[in-house]
Amino acid sequence: MKEHCWHLLDIDLSDLSFTRTEIADDLKANYLGGEGLAVKLFTDAADPKIDPFSPRNPVVIAPGLLTGLPIPTASKTAFVSKSPLTGTIAESIMGGGIGIQMKMTGAYVIRITGKAKEPVILLIDNGSVIFESGSKYWGLSTREAEMAIKHDHGDYVVATIGPAGETLVRYACIDCEGRQAGRAGIGAVLGSKNLKAIGVRGNGDLPVYDAERLISLALKWQEIMEKSNAFIEDTKYGSGEFLEWVNSERGVFPTKNWKESVFDERKEIDPYYWAPKYSLKNKACFACTKACGKLFVIREGRYAGTLLDGIEYETLYALGGQCGNPDIEALAKANELCDLFGIDTISTGVVIGFVMELVERGLLSVKDIGIDCRFGNSEAVPKMVELIGKREGLGALFGEGVARIAKTIGGDSEDYALHVKGMEPPAYDVRGLKGMGLGFMTSSRGACHLRSGFYALDLTGKFWRFEGVDRLSTKDKGIMVKAMEDFMMIYDCLGICKFSRGFFKIEGFIDLISVAIGKSYTEEELLLIGERINNVKQIFNLRAGIGRESYRLPKRITCEPISSGASKGAVLTEKEAEEMLSEYFIARGWDLKGIPTKEKLAQLGLNHLINWNKTEIDRRSLES
Amino acid sequence: MPMCLVPYPENCTGCRFCEIICSLSHERVVSLEKARLRVVRKDIATDIPFVCAQCQNEENKCCAEVCPEDAIFFDGKALVVDEVRCTGCGLCERACAYGVIRVSGVARKCDLCGGDPLCVKFCPFGAIKYEEIKKENFRKILAMMEVSF
Repeated sequence: MKEHCWHLLDIDLSDLSFTRTEIADDLKANYLGGEGLAVKLFTDAADPKIDPFSPRNPVVIAPGLLTGLPIPTASKTAFVSKSPLTGTIAESIMGGGIGIQMKMTGAYVIRITGKAKEPVILLIDNGSVIFESGSKYWGLSTREAEMAIKHDHGDYVVATIGPAGETLVRYACIDCEGRQAGRAGIGAVLGSKNLKAIGVRGNGDLPVYDAERLISLALKWQEIMEKSNAFIEDTKYGSGEFLEWVNSERGVFPTKNWKESVFDERKEIDPYYWAPKYSLKNKACFACTKACGKLFVIREGRYAGTLLDGIEYETLYALGGQCGNPDIEALAKANELCDLFGIDTISTGVVIGFVMELVERGLLSVKDIGIDCRFGNSEAVPKMVELIGKREGLGALFGEGVARIAKTIGGDSEDYALHVKGMEPPAYDVRGLKGMGLGFMTSSRGACHLRSGFYALDLTGKFWRFEGVDRLSTKDKGIMVKAMEDFMMIYDCLGICKFSRGFFKIEGFIDLISVAIGKSYTEEELLLIGERINNVKQIFNLRAGIGRESYRLPKRITCEPISSGASKGAVLTEKEAEEMLSEYFIARGWDLKGIPTKEKLAQLGLNHLINWNKTEIDRRSLES
Repeated sequence: MPMCLVPYPENCTGCRFCEIICSLSHERVVSLEKARLRVVRKDIATDIPFVCAQCQNEENKCCAEVCPEDAIFFDGKALVVDEVRCTGCGLCERACAYGVIRVSGVARKCDLCGGDPLCVKFCPFGAIKYEEIKKENFRKILAMMEVSF
């Protein structure tokens, strides 16, 4: 049996044309699939200096190498572009079913450039590429657009942006079947191209190298998964099941714009309270039997009719704790509105919490906003989401993200602005999780928990190769973050969800790759691929002008100790942060400015990048 | 006792793993088209598994009855397709009340995996169960289909 032939479908929206080329074997071998392949095919085509909203900024969509195969949690598809939020290369990874359909059409990867003159939708029906007018869907919510496109054009799997992507909210997401490619604003990049939605329908075969062994491995992993806590707890309570533990045992659940790290009023937003009451059933991503999503329904009261696939841990923080909002119904409504407008719940919640603090400090007034936007006012949260989604009044500014809001408001507002490289942070107070703090700094797309996944290690003290890790110490964190980033990259290349990391490790991947495509990799070879991709991203960011000075933690994290709870007194000073960062650069084989050395690039087979033009980098950032 | 697959859409999470594992085990490829059952997403709240109900001894005989070549027969456990006799005429596909037989070259029909259906084995939430053929089950499936079409 031979390996599936992969194609790259290059779409140019400016003249509604396309070309299809075979993807070379060495690209597949060196970048695997998913995020890795998307990063490679993006950087091959993108000018790092480009404005993210320029027609020439490509969006690359790639399903993981194992996506759609019968492997628990192998469901993911990567979207890669230059982020309008951070100006870095950025990836957003979703569980919706578009990736497996792309594989079945024979176009394994889609790369979209250009800008359509009028709104369009792109339909890929097996071998056919069809452009249809998108005008009648423009302005529709994600759910309405998905249903209308299916009604008009047939049973496509549809990935769509909402009104927020159309109006270029810088953290707009892409929705597919109730799942989102959430972070970094790639939805707005599609909006800037006048591309409302992509529908894919594939009837083709996805061959595997050894079907018999794959079925027996699938059974084995299914059994292992079903016995794991990751399955037992998440299928009951979703990803928020450890909220109480993070809150009470570790004291690192950021609350009220990170002024506090324990949310005292949390009872209702804890899934142990809401799951039995509001969750109708489990919902899964495509090809995942883990089903950690919950179908959340509100039947009566002021938010009656709210229906969504959620609520994830990150959202419980962003639209709950971060805003001091203990009302689960208002939180669910705000979550639903984020999904319908197509905006990232994490960035949205952090923006709202930030605005609440600006109001508290008199830098903004309730009158200007038109909503009583204050900590603890639950009703304000869904109203604020609507304001941002529609970009009405000050919503236009709020849709720009925390960093740009601070710049516009001025005064000392930057002191309370939570972001790294322009991206709003997820739900881990890194003053008490120092390795994760370094992970926020080094992540190519700004404050992000998933690039290094280091919270798993800091919170529990042990994961993969590491044990006895002290979350409050900076010791060896640079070396460990480097290793974790390379390891986590493998999940994103294979399309395997990181929610499987409690039971799925690298040894399992090696077997699965060999039965799926008949190639054998060693653990070190896989990690080298992860490292290669991280270096390709670093060079893109350097060329985009993002040097060491951008690796900054917010002032609240470096100057204000945690005020109460299990991590009381913890702070991550700038000195500690800089020391960890230097150790990380050295571990990476980069110089202290973050520039990969020639030797490192040669070792990774990136000879073509050795002579990249260093003068492109902003001098100031290099000399700082 | 004759057995059949019974769908429980209220338990279905919409993961479509059943289709993936079915096509892989029967066709040696992953294909949603070649699976012998299918899951249809009605909206965010509802995913409906359409499964073969093995109608041979109840109200309908659907596929077997209509086949001009007598290519669909009872093998002791399930109604299965004799691929040598099947001419791919497509009558069974049109007659199947559950929309789960698909013909391309040859008819593809659920054979209950020889008595240990993989779709049931891989569904941790019981959205498809392997149960005795009973009148109530038929009524339930048909009522469900009326709602969904």
